[in-house]
Amino acid sequence: MARPRRDARRTALEHTRHQVLSHPLARGITPREVQDYLAKVPRRRFPRVAYDERGPLPCIQPRGGVPLFEAQHALTRRLSEAGADFVPLTIDSYTRHNQYDTATQLLRRSEEEGKDYLNGYPLVSHGHELSRELYTGIDKPISLRHGTPDARLLAEVALASGIAEIEGGGICYCLPYSEGFPLDRCLLYWQYVDRICALYSTEDRPIHRESFGPLSATLVPPAIAIAVQIIEALLAAEQGVVSFAVSFGQTGSLIQDVAAARVLKHLTRSYLDEFGFETTRAYLVYHQWMGQFPQQREKAAALIAGSAMISGMVGADKVVVKTVDEALGVPRPEVNAEAVDSVRYMLRIFACAAPVTSPLIDREAALIKSEVRSIIGAIFDLSGDVFWESVYRAFQMGYLDIPFSPHSDNANLLVSMRDANKSIRIVDRGHVPISDADAEQERALLASVGDRNDKTYRQLLGDINMMMV
Amino acid sequence: MEKVCAGRVVVGVIGDDIHVVGNRIMQLALEESGFQVFNLRTRNRPEHFCQAALEVNADAVFVSSLNGEGEYWCADFRRQFADVGLGGILLYVGGNVVVGKRAMADVVSLFTGYGFDRVYHQQPDIGVAIADLLEDLKRGKAQA
Repeated sequence: MARPRRDARRTALEHTRHQVLSHPLARGITPREVQDYLAKVPRRRFPRVAYDERGPLPCIQPRGGVPLFEAQHALTRRLSEAGADFVPLTIDSYTRHNQYDTATQLLRRSEEEGKDYLNGYPLVSHGHELSRELYTGIDKPISLRHGTPDARLLAEVALASGIAEIEGGGICYCLPYSEGFPLDRCLLYWQYVDRICALYSTEDRPIHRESFGPLSATLVPPAIAIAVQIIEALLAAEQGVVSFAVSFGQTGSLIQDVAAARVLKHLTRSYLDEFGFETTRAYLVYHQWMGQFPQQREKAAALIAGSAMISGMVGADKVVVKTVDEALGVPRPEVNAEAVDSVRYMLRIFACAAPVTSPLIDREAALIKSEVRSIIGAIFDLSGDVFWESVYRAFQMGYLDIPFSPHSDNANLLVSMRDANKSIRIVDRGHVPISDADAEQERALLASVGDRNDKTYRQLLGDINMMMV
Repeated sequence: MEKVCAGRVVVGVIGDDIHVVGNRIMQLALEESGFQVFNLRTRNRPEHFCQAALEVNADAVFVSSLNGEGEYWCADFRRQFADVGLGGILLYVGGNVVVGKRAMADVVSLFTGYGFDRVYHQQPDIGVAIADLLEDLKRGKAQA
C-alpha cells in the first residue's frame, strides 16, 4: 500500500544527472549556468505568470515544430504575432525515441537538400546554445511538446534553452506512444524530469509541468483519463513541482466535456491538498478534438470553432488548437496562425463567464467522480513501497486500462462505446475497479441508444470516427 | 455465450508500424463472428506470424499494414510458412499495404505473388474479409 508522500522526493540525483549531462549533445550544460540563465529570461516565459495574468479567456496554444533552425525561428515569430499565448516547440520522433544520431543525420540532410526529413524540431541535435536564440525577445511561455518515454536529456536541453513548460509524464508519454518501453523505467525517468523541474523552480519563476490527458484519443472514458491526470499531478508534486496543468481531450460530447472538466479540476485540487501539496498550483488544459479529423477544410473549421467554444464553457486555462489541415499533415505556418485567430474570435464572441450546468451534466459529473475515486482508492491499496510502484502495479492488474493503447503492458480488457448523447460509456470494465453500481449505470446509459442493430465493431468504428460524418 | 468456434486466426501488424486501432477493432470483429483470435498486436516480423500460427494450429493468418511497410516485409511470406509445414494455411493481408498511390490491380497481384490468398488494400469494412474467411474455411484450405 503506497500513497503519495512529501518525503518520496528523489535524492542522490547528482550521479545520474552527471551521467545524463555527460552526453556530448548536452554540450557542457551545467545546472548553475542554467539556473542563472532562467533567472534572466522574461518572467512571462513562466506559465504560472501567464496564467495569472490571463483575462477571462483561455490562453491559446497552437502546435508546431520543423527541423531547421531558421524555419523554427520564423514559425515561432509567426505564431507569436498571430496571438498565440503559448508558443509550441514540437520535437521530431527520432529524438523522442532517443535516436539522436539519426535525428542529427536527417537534420544535416534537411539542411543540405532544403527538404524536411524530420517531423519536428530536433532540439537535442541543435543544442541549447543555438535554441536559446529561437526565443530572443519572446516574453511568453514556450511549451515543449513531444511524447518521449525517456526525456531526461531532452528536458535538460529544453530547460537550458529557456523553455519553462515541459509536457509529458510516466504514463501519458508511455502507454499511448510506445509499444514496448518498460513502464517502470518510464515512471522513474519522468521522476527525474519532475525533480529537475523542481530544482530549477524559484518562488516567482516556477518551472511548469503539464500532463497529456487525451492519451490514445480513442474512446478513452473520462474516468480513466482523469485518474491518470491526478496520478501524474501527484507524482510531480512528490518531486517538488509547484506548477502543474492537468488536461483532457474533447470527448465528442458537450455534456461529458463540461462534467469531466468540473471533476478533473475539483479532484486534482482535492487530492493535492489531501497529501500535503497545497502549494502546488493546478491548471486545466483542453485539447481540441484529437481523433481523426475531417479532410474537408469547411468541416475541420466548423469542428475547430465548436471546440473553441467548448474550451471557454469548460473554464479551461488553456486550449491547444488544431488546424484545418489536420487531416492532411503538418500544417503550414499561415494555416496555424489562422487557427489561432479563429479560436480567439470564437472565444471572444461566445465568452462564457458562468459555469454551464444542467441535471444531465450533474449526473454525468457525479458518475465520473465516483468512478475516479474508486480507481484511485484501489490503486492506493496496491502493494508498493512508494506511490509510483503502486501505479506500475495498477497497469499489471488492469486497474488502469487505456483503450487502444499500443503498449504491451496495457490490459486491453476495457471496452467503451458512445451513448445517445455521444458520451463515452464503459461497456465492459475489464479489471478497472469501478463499483458495480457505477458499471450498471454506465450500461443503463448506453442502453438509452436503443438497439443499434449492427455489429459491435461497426458501431465502434462509427464512434471512433464520429467527426468524419 | 458458448458458440462453436468458427476457426483460429492469428492477427497482427507487420513491420515497425504501431497503428493499433484497426488491429483492436479487427480482434473484436473476428471474435464477434465466432473466431478464436490470437492477436500479436503491433511491430511484428514474418517469423512472428509463422511461429504463432504453428503454436496455436491456426486456420488463417491476417497480416495488417497501415503505413505501407507490408510491401517490404511480406515478400516471400508463403514460403516461410511452407518451411515450417504450414504451406496450406490461409494468408490474408489488409490495410494500406503499400506506400503511395498505386493501381488496385497492381497491389493485389503483388501480394498474391507473395502467396497471399486475399488482399484488402484500403478496404474500410472488415466485414468483407470476415465473410470471405468464413467462405474460404468452408471450402477447405487454400491451394498452396
